[in-house]
Amino acid sequence: MNRVIRRLAVGLLACYALLFVQLNVWQVGKRADLRANPLNNRESVRQFDAPRGPIVTSDGVVIARTVELANNARDASGYTYQREYPTKELFANVSGYYTYAYGATQVEHLYSDVLAGTTPKQQLLAVGSTFNNVDQTGEVQLTLNSELQKLAQRQLGTREGSAVVLDTRTGAVLAMYSNPTYDPNTVAVHNNDDAGAALEALADAPGKPLLANAYQERYMPGSTFKVITTATGLEAGFISTASEWPDENSWTPPNTKNPIQNYGKKTCGGDMFEVFRRSCNIPFARMSADMGPEVMVNGVKKWGVGEKLPIDLPNAAASTFGGDIADFTDSLALLAIHGFGQGSVQMVPLHMAMVAATVANGGAMMKPYVVAKTLAHNGTELSSTSPEVWRRPISPATAATLNTFMVGVAKEGTAKCCLALAGGIQAAAKTGTAQLNAPGETQRSHAWITAFAPAEAPRVAVAVMLKGVNAQISAGTGGTLAGPVAKVLLDRALKVVPQ
Amino acid sequence: MLASTVSPLAIARRRSELGLVLLAAFITGAAYVLASLGKNASLPARIGPFLVSLLVLLVCAHIGVRKFARGASPLLLPLAALLHGIGYVMIARLSDRLAGLQATWSLIAVACFIAVLVLVPRVADLLRYQYTFLFFGVMLQLLPLVPGIGFSSGGARIWVSIGPINFQPGEFAKLCLAIFFAGYLAEQREVLSTGGKRIAGVQLPEMRTFLPVMLAWGVSVVVMVAEKDLGSSLLFFTLFVVLLWVATERSGYIVFGGGLFVLGAFIAYNMFGHVRDRFSIWLDPWSQYNGKGYQIVQGMFGFAEGGLSGTGLGLGDPTRIPAVKNDFIFAAIGEELGLFGATAVLAAFVFIIGSGLRTAIRTDNAFEKLLAVGLTTILGVQAFIILAGVLRVLPLTGVTLPFMSYGGSSLVANYMLLGLLIAISHSSARRLHEVPQ
Repeated sequence: MNRVIRRLAVGLLACYALLFVQLNVWQVGKRADLRANPLNNRESVRQFDAPRGPIVTSDGVVIARTVELANNARDASGYTYQREYPTKELFANVSGYYTYAYGATQVEHLYSDVLAGTTPKQQLLAVGSTFNNVDQTGEVQLTLNSELQKLAQRQLGTREGSAVVLDTRTGAVLAMYSNPTYDPNTVAVHNNDDAGAALEALADAPGKPLLANAYQERYMPGSTFKVITTATGLEAGFISTASEWPDENSWTPPNTKNPIQNYGKKTCGGDMFEVFRRSCNIPFARMSADMGPEVMVNGVKKWGVGEKLPIDLPNAAASTFGGDIADFTDSLALLAIHGFGQGSVQMVPLHMAMVAATVANGGAMMKPYVVAKTLAHNGTELSSTSPEVWRRPISPATAATLNTFMVGVAKEGTAKCCLALAGGIQAAAKTGTAQLNAPGETQRSHAWITAFAPAEAPRVAVAVMLKGVNAQISAGTGGTLAGPVAKVLLDRALKVVPQ
Repeated sequence: MLASTVSPLAIARRRSELGLVLLAAFITGAAYVLASLGKNASLPARIGPFLVSLLVLLVCAHIGVRKFARGASPLLLPLAALLHGIGYVMIARLSDRLAGLQATWSLIAVACFIAVLVLVPRVADLLRYQYTFLFFGVMLQLLPLVPGIGFSSGGARIWVSIGPINFQPGEFAKLCLAIFFAGYLAEQREVLSTGGKRIAGVQLPEMRTFLPVMLAWGVSVVVMVAEKDLGSSLLFFTLFVVLLWVATERSGYIVFGGGLFVLGAFIAYNMFGHVRDRFSIWLDPWSQYNGKGYQIVQGMFGFAEGGLSGTGLGLGDPTRIPAVKNDFIFAAIGEELGLFGATAVLAAFVFIIGSGLRTAIRTDNAFEKLLAVGLTTILGVQAFIILAGVLRVLPLTGVTLPFMSYGGSSLVANYMLLGLLIAISHSSARRLHEVPQ
């Protein structure tokens, strides 16, 4: 029997030799192929499932952080780390989310390398230390203030709309909130199916909660656009503080039979200061038609209308004047309507805040930004944002004139009701009530305000827009609805931004 | 000659064994610490108690051998301890909860190992109970089919639940049936190896001698059809055919057995969807990546991730492989310990097989010889079946990897098997007068 047992031994040895050969095939021969196989997501999961630094507001509140899972949760999910958003909905539009299957958005997307610690600078810092387990993750510090952001959230309440607060001198975004929004924690779950279902539900939800409406959407601006029309007229020399407009309640532009009326069909007229403060429509319609397509369109373009807003967040929207020179050449009536912010003019809420900030800043339009600086784990500064002028649409003189016009609005005009700041600080503003309905239909309107303060030495600007999705908003005006929100935000922002 | 109770050879063997067992304990302890450092970047929570229990357990097993089988081969216990240790570290690394259960089973397994050494002083005596073992073997094998206590898990009906305890009786049935066949064939080998016609140059046995082969085939078919346990079915059949071959020294049984196996496999392929599934996954797992092929593909990705030296214990990502703590534990070893670690595991199995077959060759008792061959075949072939399945050398059939996979029945049964092999090794040493009678 021993002869057969020896053969059996040889046979079994051959079997195991076969296993050894196959082991070499998978671990050596085809290793590179298997690792590069598109179905193999080990490498990408490892990159995803790694320590990641926090995103922090200017007042030190953590809005995104990574926690290490407990052992049980780790064994169950197969992941070691979980991304968390402690402030839930509050900063969703700025932080975005970080998922494996659906990528990342907003700051999580743009600053992914810094947060993960994979920028060349961070890797160099880690080389210096001999130990392997050095935390390389980075931190992103925002310009936003959590208290101001919370205030914006509370002020909007259940109303749909956006609120943006800017530092007029730097372009730093102090608050940027929009309703509806979402809780990134519901998306950043490890189960890909659950994450997909959550995203799908949000994508289908009304009001586009996944979009940062404050800078990724645009809306009809109504009378707030008159700031730009007035600026164009002043810059082009078509109007001056001395310009006078007749008292009238109806005006029919050339080559049309449809008359233009003032808000509420009122009779309205007077000097430039007065028609601006009372927000008469007809003077601005006349002004636009007088200037003609070329002057008007070029003047509007100077403000960056038609260009993607230069904010340091992905997929910013561009405002639009709703047509080019050629589109208005044969239709001065249309140009006239666009001149007071109706028709197909659409402005991004952030852009409207930038308009007020430009007037406040003596005509220099700053690039808006949300990231103040990035830090390595050891506190070394990796980068910091220096304020930059995006464009100069108006001269300091024009800015000063517009400033006085806007003070008039706050003092004794359409925002008189609601913009008396704490401590007697003078605000400057322009309101807007964008009519969405055709004549004869049920009233539907967006309520707008864009404002800055203090008027004599401006530091902060704000834009508030309440969407005309319900009767409550549509019944009010920009001054009565958006005004109180702007007041609260300006009061608080003035405390946040030092003199 | 002075009748001494102490023989130099036995002392040398036991010293080698102790040294190797301590080495296995050292490797296990070090791996345990490394896995925790890799996974949590901290020392294991109860490292002291763990190291103490590990040492006590292995030294107890060693003392058992020293007391009751002092002439036995010094390699078997350390090799099993090494595989057991690496397997345990991997299970603990994969799941905290299962680590505690497996630790309890380890204790029971070593106790059963010592019990076998104590209760079976002369293995040859087991021959007397061969039909008792046949009875128990068949009963245990069929137990999962009894309504009320038997249940299916993961597709195979191989589980029995009595009170709070769940176990796989098939793991123990293998031992019983190996004892029966060794005994039966030791007595019948003369008859079975005579006569027969020659067909195409191969001498076939006579008709009546086909009977045990057919019986073996029948049992295999029952296991495969009723319990859907393809791996165990293949293992039984291989055990029978190998034992017949060794007992009769006639290659015809291998040819005939192989033919029957191919026939059985062909019929099963055509009759059962789950058999067809296993084949199609084996041939092309890629097209079924999102379904039945996921496990095997993840296993291959794991091996590839490991490369030559592995990701390091606790640093890989083996949890994404389904059933990684049971059938696919070898893929986790390949991932975290690399080609080097996986090859060491293969080598350990080859050495156990070598020691087992060497034990068979050294003994001159036919029953002991066949039993040693049978036990070694169970161990070696079962490991081969699952390793080949995981490595995609053969279609995957779910059996446990001896000493390494998570599971109490398997661990206890394999330690009992090890006890029997060591007892046989000791018997032959006594018979060869290497140690006193």
